[in-house]
Amino acid sequence: MSRILDIKDLSIHFLLKSGTVKAVNRLSLSLDEGETLGLVGETGAGKTTTALGIMGLVQSPPGKTLGGEILFDGRDLLKLPTREMRKIRGNDISMIFQDPMTSLNPIDTVGEQIAEVIKLHNKVSPAEAAKEAQKMLEMVGIDGSRYNDYPHQFSGGMKQRVVIAIALACHPRLLIADEPTTALDVTIQAQVLDLMRDLRDQMNTSMILITHDLGVVAEVCDKVAIMYAGEIVEYGTLRQVYKNPCHYYTKGLFASIPNMNEKVRRLTPIKGMMPDPAALPAGCKFAERCEYAGEGCGAEQELRDVGEGHLVRCFQCRKQTGVSR
Amino acid sequence: MNREGQDNDRKSGQFMELLSRLLMNKAAVIGLIILLVLIFCAVFADVITPYDYAAQDLKNRFVSPCYAHPFGTDNLGRDILSRVIYGARISLSVGVLSVCLSAVVGIILGAIAGFYGGAPDNLIMRVMDIFLAIPNLLLAISIAATLGNGIPNLIMAIGIGAAPTYARIVRASVLSLKEQEFVEAARAVGASDAQIIASHIIPNCLAPIIVQMTLGVASAILSTASLSFIGLGIAPPTSEWGSMLSAGRQYIRDAWYIVTFPGLAIMVTIFGLNLFGDGLRDALDPKLKN
Repeated sequence: MSRILDIKDLSIHFLLKSGTVKAVNRLSLSLDEGETLGLVGETGAGKTTTALGIMGLVQSPPGKTLGGEILFDGRDLLKLPTREMRKIRGNDISMIFQDPMTSLNPIDTVGEQIAEVIKLHNKVSPAEAAKEAQKMLEMVGIDGSRYNDYPHQFSGGMKQRVVIAIALACHPRLLIADEPTTALDVTIQAQVLDLMRDLRDQMNTSMILITHDLGVVAEVCDKVAIMYAGEIVEYGTLRQVYKNPCHYYTKGLFASIPNMNEKVRRLTPIKGMMPDPAALPAGCKFAERCEYAGEGCGAEQELRDVGEGHLVRCFQCRKQTGVSR
Repeated sequence: MNREGQDNDRKSGQFMELLSRLLMNKAAVIGLIILLVLIFCAVFADVITPYDYAAQDLKNRFVSPCYAHPFGTDNLGRDILSRVIYGARISLSVGVLSVCLSAVVGIILGAIAGFYGGAPDNLIMRVMDIFLAIPNLLLAISIAATLGNGIPNLIMAIGIGAAPTYARIVRASVLSLKEQEFVEAARAVGASDAQIIASHIIPNCLAPIIVQMTLGVASAILSTASLSFIGLGIAPPTSEWGSMLSAGRQYIRDAWYIVTFPGLAIMVTIFGLNLFGDGLRDALDPKLKN
C-alpha cells in the first residue's frame, strides 16, 4: 500500500485583531491508499480547519497556514499555485460538507450540479457529462429520472446522497467527509454511512472521516486520530485506540458513552471546557481537565509510540507504559 | 410519459406558476397588455402605420384629429399617429438596451465588489457612490452633451447613470450568498472564482435584478424623452416622443394634439411598465405581499 497523504507539522492560525486563534498546531497525519482515517474530537478541536487546510480552502485572511507540509502523492499542496490546486480539488481530493441542506445550490437542478464537477475536470460534451451525472445519481441510489429535480424536492438524506455523488463524480483518490451524518437522523445516518463505505470500497478511495461520533468511527474507519485543542493526542489503528485507549482524554470520551447493558442514571462527562484556542496553556492542553494530571504535565508533550505505531501525547501514559514495558 | 416530457413539465411548471401569480394581479395584467401593445407597435411599425413617419405634406399642416389622421398632423404635415407608433420603436429599443447596458455593468461590478470585498469593494462602491450622488438626468445630460447625438450615445448616457443601482443590489445579494455553504462546496470541487460567480452567485440574485430592470426601462424611456426634449437625444427627423413634444410645444395653443399624443404615449408607457414591474416583484416574491 502506498502512502497517499502525509501531513507534517501543519499549523493553521487565525490572526484576528483580538489575538491569534491557534486552531491547528503542529499536526501530523498520514494515510495510505484505500485506508479510512477517523478524525475525532469535540467541537472546536480544529477538525474542520484541518480538512479545509488540506483542501487549501482556509479563508485567508484571517486564516494563515504556518509552516508544515501536506504531501499528497509526494506533492506539497501548500506550495502548489492556485490553478494547480483547483485542478486537484474535486478531481483528486474532494470534500463532503456537514449540512446537505445548504451545500447544494437551490436554483440549479441536482443533475446539473453533478455534471458541473465532471465538466470542470474532464473535457467532455454537456451530453456526456449529463450521462455520467445520471450514472452517479443511480450509483448513490437515486433514480436517474430525478436528474432535473431541484434540491428542495429532495429529503435531507437524499440531498446528502447527491452531495456524495458530486464528491465522487470524478473518482477522487481522497475523500474528506466533514461530519457527513451530523445533520441527518439516525436511520438515514446508517444508510448514508453504508453507502459511503460501499462506494469507498468500490472505488478504492482513501477517506478522512471527521466526526464526533465514536460509533460511526468504529463502523467505518481503519485508523483513528483523536484531536484536542488543535493537536492530535492519540493516533492508532481502530483496535489499538478502542481496545487500549491511553490518553486520558480518549479514556474520558469512551467513559462518557453510556453502556447499553447497565442501567445508568447519569452520564460521566469530562468536566470543564476545552481551552480557548486563542489562549492555549503551555504543556499538555488537557491537563486542567485531567484527573491524573501531575508533575511533568506542564511540559510540552510529544507524540510517543507506546507500541506498534500507537501514538499518544500524554506524560502520565508514557510514565505508566514506561514502567510496565 | 417519457422523461423528456416530464422534464419539460417540471421546468415549465415553475414558469407557469410565476405566470399564474402574475395574472392574478389585475394591475400587472393591465401593465402587461400595455407593454404587449407597445412591443407590437414597435415591431410592426412599418406595417401598421398609415403614413411614412417622415413624409411631409405641407398642404395638410395642423390638421386636427379626423378620420384620415386620427391624431392629427404637425407643423410640417406629418401624421402624428404614425410618428407616435414609430416613436415606440425608438423609446423601447433605447430603454431596453440602456437598461441591459447598465445591468451588465452593474452586475459585473457589484459581483466583483461583493465577492472580493476589501479594497476592490471599496474602490468600486465609492465610485458608484459618486455616480449616485449626481442626479441621474444631470449625469445623462452631461454624458450626452460630451458624446454628441445619436442612438448609441444616448444608450450609453442613460445606461451608465443607472448602473450603480444594479451594482448595489447585486453587491448586497452577493454578500449574503458568498457565505453560503454551496459556494464553499463549489470551491471544494475545484471551481474558479469566475465560475462560481457566473454559475452560482449571479443566478441566485436575479429576481431583484429582473424587477429593477423592468422599472428601469420606464425611467430610461423617460430620460430618453427628456434628453430629446432638450435636443440632446435623437436628431430629427427620426420620430421620438420627447423631440415631438419639444417641436410641438410652441403650437400648444392652436394645435393641442401635436404635444398631447406623444405626451400621452410617454405617460401610458411608463404607467404600464411600472404596473408590470410591481406585479412582477410581487409574483417573484410572494412572501413579500402577505
